[in-house]
Amino acid sequence: MTIAAIFRSTASVAKKEFLHILRDWRVLILILSLPPAFTLLLGHAFEETSMTDAPALLRDADHSEESQKLVERLKANKTFAWRDWTPDTAAPVNLLKAGALIAVEIPPHWGGSLNNGDPQPLRLTLDGTDTNTAPQLRGAIQEDLGQFQLDSRQAMIDDLPDEVLELGKKIPEPVRKRFVSAMSPWTVESTILYNPDLKFIDYVMPGIVGLILQLLTVTLTACTIARERESGTLAQLLVSPLSRNQIVAGKVFPHLIVSILLIAATLATGYFHFHVVYRSPVLTAVLCLLFLLCSLGTGLLISAFCQTQTQAIQFAVFYLFPVFPLSGAFAPLDQLPPGIRSLSQAFPLTHFCHAFRMVSLGQVGVSSVVGDLVFLALGAVVTCFGAALLLRRIQD
Amino acid sequence: MPESVIVLDQLAKSFGDTQAVAGVTMDIPAGEIFGFLGANGAGKTTTMRMLCGLTKPTSGTGFITGHDIWKGRYAIRSRFGYVAQRFSLYPDLTVLENLRFFGAAYQVSGKQLDDRVETLLDQLDLRPKSRALAGSLSGGMRQMLALSCALVHEPALLFLDEPTSGLDPVHRQQIWDLLYELSSQGTTIFVTTHYMDEAERCTEVGFLHQGRLLAKESPLGLKGHFKGQLLEMQVEPVMEGLARLRAVPGILGVALRSGRIRIYSAESGRLVAKWEKAWPFEGLTWLGHSWAAPDMEDVFKAYSQGYTAILENAAP
Repeated sequence: MTIAAIFRSTASVAKKEFLHILRDWRVLILILSLPPAFTLLLGHAFEETSMTDAPALLRDADHSEESQKLVERLKANKTFAWRDWTPDTAAPVNLLKAGALIAVEIPPHWGGSLNNGDPQPLRLTLDGTDTNTAPQLRGAIQEDLGQFQLDSRQAMIDDLPDEVLELGKKIPEPVRKRFVSAMSPWTVESTILYNPDLKFIDYVMPGIVGLILQLLTVTLTACTIARERESGTLAQLLVSPLSRNQIVAGKVFPHLIVSILLIAATLATGYFHFHVVYRSPVLTAVLCLLFLLCSLGTGLLISAFCQTQTQAIQFAVFYLFPVFPLSGAFAPLDQLPPGIRSLSQAFPLTHFCHAFRMVSLGQVGVSSVVGDLVFLALGAVVTCFGAALLLRRIQD
Repeated sequence: MPESVIVLDQLAKSFGDTQAVAGVTMDIPAGEIFGFLGANGAGKTTTMRMLCGLTKPTSGTGFITGHDIWKGRYAIRSRFGYVAQRFSLYPDLTVLENLRFFGAAYQVSGKQLDDRVETLLDQLDLRPKSRALAGSLSGGMRQMLALSCALVHEPALLFLDEPTSGLDPVHRQQIWDLLYELSSQGTTIFVTTHYMDEAERCTEVGFLHQGRLLAKESPLGLKGHFKGQLLEMQVEPVMEGLARLRAVPGILGVALRSGRIRIYSAESGRLVAKWEKAWPFEGLTWLGHSWAAPDMEDVFKAYSQGYTAILENAAP
C-alpha cells in the first residue's frame, strides 16, 4: 500500500466522521454554543471572590454615642445587608427562621464599658452550616471593629489635653518613641507579581478552558467507536483493508478540528469579554493542542474498551468526576493532602492548568513547563495507540 | 474441476466451554454459490466470521485463495465482500456517501470509484434514492445498499449472512437475480439462509448441525440421500391425524404439506400395507395416500432432527 493510498483511505474515515458530526446538528449547535456560554457563566460566577450582601441582623441595645458610630461603620460595609433586629424573647436568635447568616448584638452599656477600662465583647451568632461563610463574616466584623478601635484611639490622642502632652514630654525619649510607634498602626507593603490586579478570571481561565474541553471531547469521542460497535459497522470496518491505526486516526482528526474551534471560541470569549491577556501565544497553542490530543485519546480509549454507548458515557462520567475538584482548575492544589495531590498529577487537566498559568501569568519559558508538555504528549500517544491496540485485542 | 477458493481443515471455534464450530472440513470451488444451512446457533455465523478474519479460530486451518484466514487476514481483506446479518451501514449518511466511503475504505478511488458507484446505483436500483439517508430506506433497499457496499471493490468472493431474512418475496427475488448474475461473472458466493427455496438455488449446500458439517453436496445430491420417496396421507380431521400419526412407533416425524400429512419413516411401505388391512385409528377417515419426492425442506428437517434411519450415507 502506498503512502498516498494510506492517506486517502484515512481521509475517507475522517470525512465520514465529519459527516456524522454535521448530521447530528442538534449536538453540533450545542457543542459550538456551550464553550462561550460556559465561559461567560463561569467567568462571571467566580469574578467576586469575597461575599457581598450577606443577610445579617443588627441590634443596638446600647444606644450610646460609641454604639451609634459602630453601627454606622457596619452599615457601610458591603459584605452585609443589615436588617434591624428586636428580639422578643431572651432566647437565642433563630438564624434560619430569620433568614440571616449572622446576628450582631451590641450589648447594653457597651459604650460605657469601652470608656471605663473593661471593654465588653460584641455578641455574634453565626450560621456554621457553610464552613466557608461563617469565618469570613466573623473576620469582616472583626476587621470593622479593629478599625473602629483605631479610630477611637486616634480621636482620643487628638483630644488629649495639653497638660497630658506636657506630662508626656517628661517620659524618656526612647520610651516615648516606642510608645508612639506602638500607638500607630503597623502596616505591610505588598508587591503582587504575575497577576497584579488579582483578577480571578485570569487565574481561572485555564480551568474553564480545560473543563469545557475535557467534558466535550471525552464524552463526544467516547461514543464514536462504541456507536460503531453497537450498530455493527465496526465489523464492517474491520473486514475492510483499513488498519486500526487508520480508523483511530480518522476518528481523531475531525474531532480535533471541532475541538480547536471550541478552544478558540473559549479563549476569544476570555479575551474580548474579560480582557484576559494570553502571553506566549505559540506555547499556549502547543499546550492546548497536546491537551486536546490527550483528551481525545482518553475518549477513544474509553470508547474502544466499552461495548455500548451507555457504558462509554458512564465510564466518561466516572473518569471526569474526580478530575474537576482535584485538578487545581478552580481551587489550589496546595489545599490537598500529599497523597491526593500526587493522584491529581495523573490528570492531564492538572498539567494543562499548571502550564497554562505558568506561561500566561508567570511569563516563563518552555523550560519551566517542559514536564507538563511531556506528560501531555505522552498521554496523547499512549491513549491513541492504546485505543488502536484495544480495538485489535477485543476483535481477536 | 475448478480451483478451490476456500479450503477448511478441521476449523473449530470455542467460546469458553461452548464449542460453536466443531471441526469443519470442506473445499469450495471458484464460481460456486455455496449455501450454508443450519438451525439458529448451529455455528454458521461463527464460521463466516472466522473466514472474514473477525474472530480467531481455536484450532484447525482455513485458507482463502491460498492465504491463511487468520495469519493472512490483512492480505485477503480486499479480496472479499461481506454483508453482515444485520444492517451495518451508517444510517446518518446518504446512499451515495455510504457507497463512496466503503469504496475509499477498499482503496477504490478517482474515476474508478465514480464509475463503480454509477454502475452499482443502476444495477441495484438505488439511483432514485441516492441522496436519501440510509436510515430512511425500507428494509429491501437497505439490503440492496449493503450488497452494493460489499461489491464496490468488485470482490471475487462474497460472504452473505442471511441476506434476505425479513425481506418480501420481490426483494428476495431481486437479490437472488443479482447473485446469479455475479456468479455467472465468476464471483464465488458463500451465503447462509433459512429459506429452503433459496437453498434449492445454490450450486452446493452445506448442512451444519451443532457445529458439525453433516453433509455438503448439490441440492439434488442431498435429496438423493433419502431412501425412496416420502409417504403423504390424506386423513380427516387433519389436525387430529397429525397428532395421532406422530405417536405411531416407527414414524420419526410428520409434517403438514398443503393439507396432506408427510410422514418421515423408514417403514412407510410396511405401515401402508398394515393400514390397508386394518385402519387402527377410530374417528379418523383415511381419504387416500400418495408418494412424494423429498425437497430441501425435507432434507433440512431430516438432518436437523437426526432422522438418520431414512438417509443413506448420513453421518451419525
